[in-house]
Amino acid sequence: MAAQDLLIRTLVELADSLVDDFDVVELLTLLTDRCVEALEVDDAGLMLAAPVGSDLRVMSSSSAAMFDLELYELQSSEGPCLDSYRSGEPVHNEDLHTTGERWPRFTPAAIAAGFQSVSAVPMRWRGTTIGALNLFRKGPGQLDDADLDAARAFADVATIAILQHKAALDARVVNEQLNQALNSRVILEQAKGMLAERANIDVDEAFDRLRAHARRHNLRLGAVAHDILAGTLTVDDIEPPAPFRGP
Amino acid sequence: MTSDRRARILERLYPTGEAKLEAARLGEVCAEVTGATGAGLMLMSGDAPRGSVATTDEVSTLIEDLQFSLGEGPCVDAYRFDRPILEPDLANPAVVRWVAFAGPAVAAGARAVFGFPLQVGAVRLGALNLYCDRPADLSVDQHADALVMAEVAAQALLIMQSHAPPDVLAIELERGSNFQHVVYQASGMVAAQLAVSVAQAMIRLRGHAFGHGRPLTEVAQDVVGRRLRFEDDPDANRQATQ
Repeated sequence: MAAQDLLIRTLVELADSLVDDFDVVELLTLLTDRCVEALEVDDAGLMLAAPVGSDLRVMSSSSAAMFDLELYELQSSEGPCLDSYRSGEPVHNEDLHTTGERWPRFTPAAIAAGFQSVSAVPMRWRGTTIGALNLFRKGPGQLDDADLDAARAFADVATIAILQHKAALDARVVNEQLNQALNSRVILEQAKGMLAERANIDVDEAFDRLRAHARRHNLRLGAVAHDILAGTLTVDDIEPPAPFRGP
Repeated sequence: MTSDRRARILERLYPTGEAKLEAARLGEVCAEVTGATGAGLMLMSGDAPRGSVATTDEVSTLIEDLQFSLGEGPCVDAYRFDRPILEPDLANPAVVRWVAFAGPAVAAGARAVFGFPLQVGAVRLGALNLYCDRPADLSVDQHADALVMAEVAAQALLIMQSHAPPDVLAIELERGSNFQHVVYQASGMVAAQLAVSVAQAMIRLRGHAFGHGRPLTEVAQDVVGRRLRFEDDPDANRQATQ
């Protein structure tokens, strides 16, 4: 059973690191390190499928030596992480001496690395599973339920961290686009008003004429609006629509 | 803990696990989570309100409209000063912060108003507006909820916009929003009437609205409906005879 205060400290630390610009890999490394310190496990690794639906890739591991290990490599095709990722359910304390059939390549590799049992918890947010946290034990006996619960809590925090970070990464770019969209719209409305006044038509017709002009000359609507406001495009330049001809 | 608050908010926003979110729902959750009477989300750029993407009731709509028309109020300050703005009793403040905004807001039923910047990291896109129909301080807990809510809302708005093509506002943001297009149309018309820039025309429009004690939107509708023309002499704006 894990020391309660270390668990709480870890959760607080993880939550704290969510603010501002945090480094995802750093956060996930903290997470796997703390799994080993706070839970009865000897090694922990975290695998993510990014983008969603692609192969699982190892993101962090409590032991640097393990990082490149084929133990993770293998799990793009079989193993507890993949099972947990696919089912969205935890894999509980699988004794590696009984998993030879289930994971024919992963099992001998894990035993060779000195492990006796393995667990995995999915990283889920609502309907979507984005990866799994892998826990390895070298000694006999099982990971108790409290430890598994704690591992799930860690995985939940890590999931939120990753989902939030994805949004944070693009925030600057999207905000610029948002600003541009808002400004383009303002300019278009102003140009509609100006053309409506000058041509003595209503704003809807002004919009039709602006759009028709843009199409006819293969220009962006925003550019046409801008030229109207700048005075470089006058009412006379904007042809009224072709007169309606009856049948 | 921040992550608990965040998880609670996300659970309300995406109750069915569906990733689709409407701006209107986002506004409702802002009010629910913070226990405010109503809420609104205002997009801003270049220090000026650009439009309201979600308001939960008539009072919050008016609060956003007033700020758009007057260029002052809790959202404007929260955005400009990059910090929460708290006014627990708009009718009886120690210092009158918003001379033009306070009267009509109180008359409409807003007694306490709060503004929180909508931001993700260093990126600021607007402000969250909360109001209560009676004088009220935000508790420490409500304040913390509002801060996390504002951040989650900012992210949600950016995520909505991230699906839109360049130069176009996302449909989720456009729907149910009020971007006061008529005001910009009117500024274009007034600019043509007075042969001034649209920025100057906007100032004349605002001046007229303020001087006549009328909402800017109403004045703009009159201009676009050709019931009001502006002429060269600033004191000679006349109502067009029908």
